[in-house]
Amino acid sequence: MQTRVKPDPRVIFALVFGTSSFAIIIREDVVAVLGLLVLTLTFAMMLGVKLGRLFKRLKRLWQVLILVTLLRSFFAPSGIVLLALWDVPLLTTGGLAIGLLVSLRLIIFIIGASMFTVYPARGLIQAMVQMKMPYEIAYMVSIGLRFVPLFAEQLRDSLTALQLRGVVIEELKLRKRLSIYTYLLLPAIVSGLQQAKELAMSMEMRAFRAMPKRTSYFKLHFSKWDALMLFGVVALCAVIGYAVFNYNFYEVIMMEILEVYY
Amino acid sequence: MTDNNFVLTISDLRFKYADRYRRSSFELVVDEFAPKPSVCTAVMGENGSGKTTLGKLVAGILRPASGCIFYNGVDISDLKLGEIGRQVGYLFQEPSRQIFASKPLDEIAFPLELRGIDKEEARTRAKKLLDEFELSHIINNTTFTLSRGEKQRLAIAAAMIVNPKYFVLDEPTTGLDKQRRKILAKTLKKMQENGMGILLISHDMEFVEAMEAEIRTMKGGRLLDANKS
Ligand SMILES: Nc1ncnc2c1ncn2[C@@H]1O[C@H](COP(=O)(O)OP(=O)(O)O)[C@@H](O)[C@H]1O
Ligand SMILES: [Mg+2]
Repeated sequence: MQTRVKPDPRVIFALVFGTSSFAIIIREDVVAVLGLLVLTLTFAMMLGVKLGRLFKRLKRLWQVLILVTLLRSFFAPSGIVLLALWDVPLLTTGGLAIGLLVSLRLIIFIIGASMFTVYPARGLIQAMVQMKMPYEIAYMVSIGLRFVPLFAEQLRDSLTALQLRGVVIEELKLRKRLSIYTYLLLPAIVSGLQQAKELAMSMEMRAFRAMPKRTSYFKLHFSKWDALMLFGVVALCAVIGYAVFNYNFYEVIMMEILEVYY
Repeated sequence: MTDNNFVLTISDLRFKYADRYRRSSFELVVDEFAPKPSVCTAVMGENGSGKTTLGKLVAGILRPASGCIFYNGVDISDLKLGEIGRQVGYLFQEPSRQIFASKPLDEIAFPLELRGIDKEEARTRAKKLLDEFELSHIINNTTFTLSRGEKQRLAIAAAMIVNPKYFVLDEPTTGLDKQRRKILAKTLKKMQENGMGILLISHDMEFVEAMEAEIRTMKGGRLLDANKS
């Protein structure tokens, strides 16, 4: 008997749905979103998500932070002006808060998505099917997931082949370099689609969609333990929901800090 | 006697795939490999013995974990892939992997254009090359609909446009009929006489013999001693 460490994928669907919903619902309360982030990260760590790869993916987000902060500060200035060029505000506390909020939200989404990576694709499809999603759609999602790496691989090979014909990409001017990507994109898509078409054909040959419902030997079993965890997730979401609608954590913490000072 | 002047040497090479999903135990270990420049070297061996991996390392597509590869005594680890490509040509095991254009002519002319050759000139040279490889009849086809053999020949032709000093071919005869294999052997021998070195990865004993190649055998990621193979 195999010991169960990971909960049923359906529990994770609920968890990710809950955390990402709150990430969208919570407005203008950086502290609450930060709390939600810590919570999501804790769950991800408990699931055994590889943190190194996750952080690598998150590293690019600082550009979003800067961009949103600057745009907000410039076009919709609010709060205290921290930096200004003559009369034009470049950096405001309001802009910084929004920039942070947007970045934190994105981080929560990405961590949420990373939680699915600890499951094999087959388990996720089965979870969707057993949640009464039409199996054609569930399989389309899975083929879509497979198409992306095929496409990326083809593009990488094309670039390799091009370089092996003596083209030093690093030395090309930006315009020529961009022309490479536009040139290679279409063939890479076509060849990716061709492979997807072959996959579809082989599925049809094995009588995919011949019956209204596809049965499977592989079933996910919802254990008592899973049910308990699902209950926990729902309860947790209720608590977060209650707290979010009744407190402004940012204000509460500011009051605390002020009280300490005076 | 040929005036072959490209010397490939490998020393203390180690390579392992960074495998995210499966723990693959495969490791390529080549302590010393210095094929004779004037003859074609054939690497044979069973599936999964590491022939493709070795070929990709030689062509700079994969970079070793440790050890060095030298072209004429120059360590290639600092060379960009494009710079390597000016000296070494490579034929992928799967030809559709390396065909990136939708038209055969573009496949050959586009890299030339990127290297600053005039568009008209590039196309003229591409047409001439297609002619040489008896591919003129498919000039208006899209590359996706070519047969495997045609793709193979197009990929070889395309690799030849840069006049590589050394050519790594990974199973070049797959998908070619007997007649085409003969023609390919003849073409390669001619290029060899013009000074090009060849590393041939193949299962095809007949082809290897036709190339009068010196055979090296790979097994479990290692090159067996020359006299044993
Ligand atoms: N991209 C890769 N990632 C992980 N392992 C790989 C990869 N490519 C090849 N291998 C493994 O490396 C070994 C050698 O493969 P390869 O060099 O392609 O062998 P050959 O060309 O002799 O058939 C095989 O065990 C193969 O499974
Ligand atoms: Mg191979």
